[in-house]
Amino acid sequence: MKNAYYYLKHYKKELILGPAFKMLEVVFELLIPFLMSYIIDTGINKAISNGDYSSIYIPGIIILLLGVLGFSSTFVCQYIASIASQGFGTELRNAIYKKVTGLSLREVELIGKGNLVTLITNDVNRMQVSVAMMIRLVLRAPMLIIGSLICAFIIDYHLAFIFLEVVILISLILFFVIKQSSKRILSTQKSVDDLVTITNDSLSGIRVVKAFNNEEYEINKYKKQTDDYYKEMKKVTLLNAITNPVTFLIINVAIVLVVYFVGSSTIQGTGLSSGDLTSLISYLNQILLALIVVSNLVVIFTKAFASKKRIEKLLNLEPSIKNNPKYKDLKVNDGETLFSFKDASFKYEEEDNLVVSNLTFDIKKGETIGIIGGTGSGKTTIIKLLERFFDVTSGEILYKGVNIKDYDLNSLHNEISLVNQKAILFKGTIESNLKMANKAASESEMIEALKVACAYEFVASYEDGLNHKVEEGGKNFSGGQRQRLSIARSILKNSETLILDDSTSALDYLTEKNLRYNLSNKTELTKIIIAQRVSSLVNADKIIVMYHGRIDAIGTHEELLNKSNIYKEIYESQENK
Amino acid sequence: MSPVNRIFYYIKKRQIYVISSLICALIYVISMVLIPLFNGKMVDIIKNLVVGDTTNEIYKEFIFTIIIDVILIILVLVFEFIFEYIVNVFVEGINKEIRNNLFTKLNSVSIKFIDSHAHGDLVSRCVTDSDNVNNALISGFKQFYQGLIQIIATLVIMFIFNWILGIVVIILTPISFLISYIVAKKSKIYFKKQAKIQGDMGAIALEDFNNIDIIKSFNFEEEAFSKYKARNDELYEAGRKSQFVSSLTNPSTRLINNTTYALVGMIAALLCALSFKSGNVILGASCTTGTILTFIQYSNQFAKPFNEISSCLTEIQTGLTSLKRINDVLNEENDVDEGTSLIDEKVKGISFKNVYFSYEPNQRLIEDFSLDIKEGQKVAIVGPTGCGKTTIINLILRFYDQNSGEIKFNSVNNLDIKKSSLRHTFGMVLQDTWIFHGTVLENIKYAKKDATIEEVEKAASRANALNFIKHLPKGFDTVISENSGLSVGEKQLICIARVMLVEPNIMILDEATSNIDTRAEMKISDAFNKMMENKTSFVIAHRLSTIRNSDLIIVMNKGHIIETGKHDELFAKKGFYYNLYNAQYSK
Repeated sequence: MKNAYYYLKHYKKELILGPAFKMLEVVFELLIPFLMSYIIDTGINKAISNGDYSSIYIPGIIILLLGVLGFSSTFVCQYIASIASQGFGTELRNAIYKKVTGLSLREVELIGKGNLVTLITNDVNRMQVSVAMMIRLVLRAPMLIIGSLICAFIIDYHLAFIFLEVVILISLILFFVIKQSSKRILSTQKSVDDLVTITNDSLSGIRVVKAFNNEEYEINKYKKQTDDYYKEMKKVTLLNAITNPVTFLIINVAIVLVVYFVGSSTIQGTGLSSGDLTSLISYLNQILLALIVVSNLVVIFTKAFASKKRIEKLLNLEPSIKNNPKYKDLKVNDGETLFSFKDASFKYEEEDNLVVSNLTFDIKKGETIGIIGGTGSGKTTIIKLLERFFDVTSGEILYKGVNIKDYDLNSLHNEISLVNQKAILFKGTIESNLKMANKAASESEMIEALKVACAYEFVASYEDGLNHKVEEGGKNFSGGQRQRLSIARSILKNSETLILDDSTSALDYLTEKNLRYNLSNKTELTKIIIAQRVSSLVNADKIIVMYHGRIDAIGTHEELLNKSNIYKEIYESQENK
Repeated sequence: MSPVNRIFYYIKKRQIYVISSLICALIYVISMVLIPLFNGKMVDIIKNLVVGDTTNEIYKEFIFTIIIDVILIILVLVFEFIFEYIVNVFVEGINKEIRNNLFTKLNSVSIKFIDSHAHGDLVSRCVTDSDNVNNALISGFKQFYQGLIQIIATLVIMFIFNWILGIVVIILTPISFLISYIVAKKSKIYFKKQAKIQGDMGAIALEDFNNIDIIKSFNFEEEAFSKYKARNDELYEAGRKSQFVSSLTNPSTRLINNTTYALVGMIAALLCALSFKSGNVILGASCTTGTILTFIQYSNQFAKPFNEISSCLTEIQTGLTSLKRINDVLNEENDVDEGTSLIDEKVKGISFKNVYFSYEPNQRLIEDFSLDIKEGQKVAIVGPTGCGKTTIINLILRFYDQNSGEIKFNSVNNLDIKKSSLRHTFGMVLQDTWIFHGTVLENIKYAKKDATIEEVEKAASRANALNFIKHLPKGFDTVISENSGLSVGEKQLICIARVMLVEPNIMILDEATSNIDTRAEMKISDAFNKMMENKTSFVIAHRLSTIRNSDLIIVMNKGHIIETGKHDELFAKKGFYYNLYNAQYSK
């Protein structure tokens, strides 16, 4: 079980030194009221009786010095805290990033990609703050409270019990308020999320909204939501508004009580000196301030522990795909079997239905294989199994004659080049995207790959050519351009196998035809093409027709027209009647 | 309206809150400031109490002072609570109104405005920015009311009772204000840098985690990590500095407080001793032990409003920036509908005459576009991406208006027709499916709020959507959203069912079936054909086979119509359409 605070291991020194310096300040602060009491009782009397003012200004100067010393030691503590907490956050972020990229797709999808981003930003930030507070305040606040209590007991044993009661009472109130308001905060957060959803929905669908003349409806929906939020906030406000005044009440009533008891005991002749009374009141005020800090700390740590749990859940995940490299860099000759599916079935979770079942087929080196079928028929799952993003649930897949599970994962990924449906580009330049596939690629190699992917023409039309900027997700390119660039990237990888997962859908037919021609010239390349259009596949050596997770038929275009009704239907739906 | 006028407009509407909160603040803050005075007085009285005597004047005064103290405490309790509550309710009310106004505005401005702004940015104006204004208002009202009253009241009382000690407190506390201001200013620079890096890192993480399959298939994990790590190291530097600098606020305030405390203690003690010895009040500044206690408490309290005002200044700054962003949206012109005519009969003809249009002034798109469409015609628009197909739809529905030329419906100029009436005539299914967060039923009924469940089921069944909807966990009551796991095809079917429900006069299909596999598409197009019978329709299609039966095929390229006619005519022409068609079906 990995603990998220494990990454504090490089900061043991800071974790001890920081609070130690802070403790110095606490001790100084606790001494100050004692000195003040000395000034009031002894200092004034001595000054009056024998004109000796030293008992006033010496303790006064000591208080000044203690203040400066306290500041200096806090200064050091804050510095130490910033190093330790920021360093901890940095290491934790790195660790999470590494963990995520090391996981298999199954786990990533299980946690959700959006959640992972929240994890590495917000959750780490919260834990980082908790480390800073651990060093800066976790000792300071309780020590101030305990210290003030002890001092109160030293001054007057009986009165100190009032202090104790105040501490307990305020703690209870604060605890109650925090518990209630954190509950409320959760529900207001949900209201805010709903506001975001509605706004997003209606912005992205503005044409539909207007086409149906539904502006009023949208506005009313939104108004209802802001109204809910308003009511929710009113309740939160009520709770927050009461906290300050009540805390104030308790402390001041405590002061009045202390004064009253001191007054009553004075009448009985056992009163306290004015100096002691002044310092008792100072300690009460100190306790109040410290308790407020503690209540803030409770909030910070509650959040941090929730984050810690989430982070630890991630850090303790084991990738379901393990790399057990018994074989790597195996060679097979043209015409020999590259992939062999033997009765392979797959489902995501134990309780789910099979996504694909009983797949049996061979892919030979140098072949062009087509896969066709309706949405959800299992085409993309086959690719995920080929890339070993997932392992089969039953049956087996042989790659180059050995079980794919025994083949080195890195060399498997090197030997297969995938262009997936989404055609994603990464922020950077065209060149940086192409070089993802091959760091050492020369300019002429990149141009060659762009030419094969029918992308050279538009890339060359940019003034800055290969250095043209790519924004996040490649959103500054059209769908067709993105597809061609990602095909170029995969070609540049120079792998044995190229997989095109429905990655020419946004190309117009002329361009797709040219691309197909260019690819067919690369005869040594094994090509696996998933497509919706029959026209993309007619020349394949073998077409696999998928239907509801099963293979309906395998054969060439002509063979399938005779033996597969599904294939025939697809073909006819696209052809001239 | 300027941002400041805008906020005053909202505040003015709620004057009663402003005044009542001011009254509450006056009562509770002044009571709060008086309490240390009475505490001091009690200490002096205790000194003079006579042992064993509870009947004399002094004892009565003692009890009397305690009672006043308790009354003051209760006044603070009650009025601070009312104050806090009023201010929060008041500001939340403004927040709600700002959000409602923003959202209404977003639904009233031109599509051009929405298209040309990042949606995430607009959403954050509605949520984050209005929250920032909210926070600025709350702390503005609280700190300024409370802080200013407290500063003034404390000053007055201090000077009345002991001007020498008053001066000591006054000289030192603004220094603490200055320090916390400098600290805040300094750390803001680092915070800005930190926020920028954090934003970048969030974007990198999002991009990488979303596309983890690509990263894995390129064995790119190491490189991606080193990119992330480089930014992370930058964050360490900026974060450490901003954290350190900002964490100095409290200790510096404590340092100033302690200094004031020591000086007040020393000087007050001296004054006490001197006045006792000489039997006179020194320089008009009377001093007793109780005075020391009072002034020690003032010196502790007096720094607080200054610090709070300085921290609230940064909040107000952020609030102002946000207010400006909100105001920019609210100042945007509404998309006025100058049209008055209604389309009350069937549209018999649509004509384009010399229409020019472009999204950007220096980018030409639609040029000299003329076209006549008669009632009942099935019009197909084809052509390569970016040729202006979708733009024609934008013009027909008046999402955008032409720059010049005329578009007429039944020989009425499109600019004279009420937009709502015009749009009511059309039903459209767009390329990008739109599903909002809500149940399947709500999504379909979006087109016709009063539709019965039977009507909805019928529409769904005609769109071939009934089957899969019935298999959803809760059927029509299943809550769905854009990312709720429906396939693109299924979302498309729901959008189609939505239009099926209204049976509009004219249909517009923008590549409506491009994401459904061809077998399913066949079934839907049957339904479409039935629905389009005897109706005018526009179809923008990628697959040319689906539009072969159209009455009129318009072939567009680069904003111009280059060919028009029926399939057979165009095919025989062996021109652009012929090539396009052949590319699609050649082997």
